[in-house]
Amino acid sequence: MMILLFFVLSVICVGSVLGMIISKNQAYSALFLVLAFSCLGGLFGMLGAPFMAVVQIIIYAGAIMVLFIFVIMMINLRKGISPERKKWTLAVSAVISVVLLAELVFAVLGTPPMPYTAAFSSGTSPTDIGRLLFTKYLYPFEITSVLIIAALVGAIVLVKKREKE
Amino acid sequence: MNGFGALAPLLIIVGAALVILLLDAFLKKDNKNYLACLSLFFLVVCAVFCLRSWNKNLSYFEGQLRLDNLALFLAFLFLIAVAFVMFIGMKYLTLQNVPGGEFYGLLLLALSGLMIMTSSLNFIVIFLGLEVLSVSSYALAGLKGKDEKSSESAIKYFLMGSFASAFLIFGLALLFGTAHSLEISAVLSSFRANFEGQLLGLVGLGLVIIGFAFKISLVPFHMWTPDVYEGAPTPVTAFFAVGPKAAGFAVLFRILAPYWNEGFKSGRIFDVLWTVAALTMLIGSLIGLRQKNIKRLFAYSSIANAGYMLIAVLAGDGASLIFFLTVYLFMGIGAFGSLIALSKKDREYTDLEDFAGVGFKYPWLGAIFSVFLLSLAGFPPTGGFLAKFYVFVGAVRQDLTSLVIIGVLTSLISAFYYLRIIVYMYMREPERDVDIEIENPALFLVLFLCLYGVLQLGIFPGNVLYVIRQAAASLF
Repeated sequence: MMILLFFVLSVICVGSVLGMIISKNQAYSALFLVLAFSCLGGLFGMLGAPFMAVVQIIIYAGAIMVLFIFVIMMINLRKGISPERKKWTLAVSAVISVVLLAELVFAVLGTPPMPYTAAFSSGTSPTDIGRLLFTKYLYPFEITSVLIIAALVGAIVLVKKREKE
Repeated sequence: MNGFGALAPLLIIVGAALVILLLDAFLKKDNKNYLACLSLFFLVVCAVFCLRSWNKNLSYFEGQLRLDNLALFLAFLFLIAVAFVMFIGMKYLTLQNVPGGEFYGLLLLALSGLMIMTSSLNFIVIFLGLEVLSVSSYALAGLKGKDEKSSESAIKYFLMGSFASAFLIFGLALLFGTAHSLEISAVLSSFRANFEGQLLGLVGLGLVIIGFAFKISLVPFHMWTPDVYEGAPTPVTAFFAVGPKAAGFAVLFRILAPYWNEGFKSGRIFDVLWTVAALTMLIGSLIGLRQKNIKRLFAYSSIANAGYMLIAVLAGDGASLIFFLTVYLFMGIGAFGSLIALSKKDREYTDLEDFAGVGFKYPWLGAIFSVFLLSLAGFPPTGGFLAKFYVFVGAVRQDLTSLVIIGVLTSLISAFYYLRIIVYMYMREPERDVDIEIENPALFLVLFLCLYGVLQLGIFPGNVLYVIRQAAASLF
């Protein structure tokens, strides 16, 4: 049953990512991405990481993608940029992607199989994660707030209008 | 007390950034120089706290924050660099109409990112520090909002930088998969223990190195450097040339030096980095020959210098690396400071032709600038000579002779483009009308201090070397 679910979810996930890349309309791309994120959320849930699953759907598929779609609607690009590529760049990128795929396959083959639950051996409920965030990972957690301030200030600086003009 | 002592420098810097941003928002003064003085006060307080932690090896949060001597020494370097950049920024901000409060605030946030990065042995913290630094840098590059080139450089830096961060975090995920931990030491010991899982780990480590190679502009990942350096406001460029580069190399050294000691010195990563170092030096000096814009030229010079620093990393020679970074701070900021000195209202002189005859028209400025150029080219008795000398000697001891030969040859090539500027300044008749506004005590103070630093490190490096050896020794 789990195996079946896994394959269904992965096929939909990979398919929707492909659809995202191929489709010419940005709004469709964004919706495909939502589908991909939802499937990823399902996969995380199957791995026994309920928190990741929920976050994947609430934050990524929900908040961030809604923002994306807003932006796409506001900018209102009807046509995608016409694919006017040179032949040789296409060939080069094809070769590079094949090499990367081969590298990845070798890396996976060269790795001994890991115990299935090793990564999630300890508790993965939101309570456990919250406790970890405020004890063991307090320092990185606080740095994240500095990061967000920097991003906020940076974004405001870049888009605000100058007073004197 | 241990915990607070370790956390204090960072708290001060982040607090200072917030105070500066708030003050700028509520006190609407036209002259922003008071913000620079206030930031300087915070920097000094932070330096005092760093000084008090020297030799104490403070650590906090289970070692996620570790103030060993290396971290403290680098923190000192960053504090000096940021103070210098703020001072040379004073003239630039008023003349080129760049918003002041944001400049100082973002610079302080970037400084906190630098300090977070270099004072940790945990990959998560290093990554977050790098992101704090990068996000502030993107905004700093685009501070001249009206200027097209500045916006271009911000967008380019942002896109390429996010791409590099994606590589870095993918690599971290692979490393976590092999080692089940993101402590540098745990990751490295898993390399030693687990030879079968190595390929996945190797790919992970490689991707992490790519992420940092972007920041320090090693050769296949250097494309952004000239455009960003050219477009960003000049004080910000000075900061880019010095700060992120030093932090990137320090982290790379923290990862790779123990890795070499684990007996991987003949491994694949070593060979790849050997090639990268050679390419970086070659491309940095060869393409630099064709540049007519001084800021682009300095970008290629900084790429070439990254190659020399990589030699020190390959040789596992911490003391030379830190000495090189120290010297590079003074000569880099000095050179960019001289460029700022050569500017007037809404106009910067960055073409090579603009420099014709400047040496006689402004003798002091010409002489100071020449010293920085000679130091970059590596002539004795400047610091630039000793820095390269120590790196090369250390590398020869580690059997990297062929790399050293490439290094010597490329520094000969690059000497040509540094000397060409001097030739223009002193041996060409001025063709264009260059008049500049000189009066700025802060700028000249920085230029003088940089000059002093370059000469002191070139002639009497003993005391500084002693401190640097202590810092490098704290690694092992």
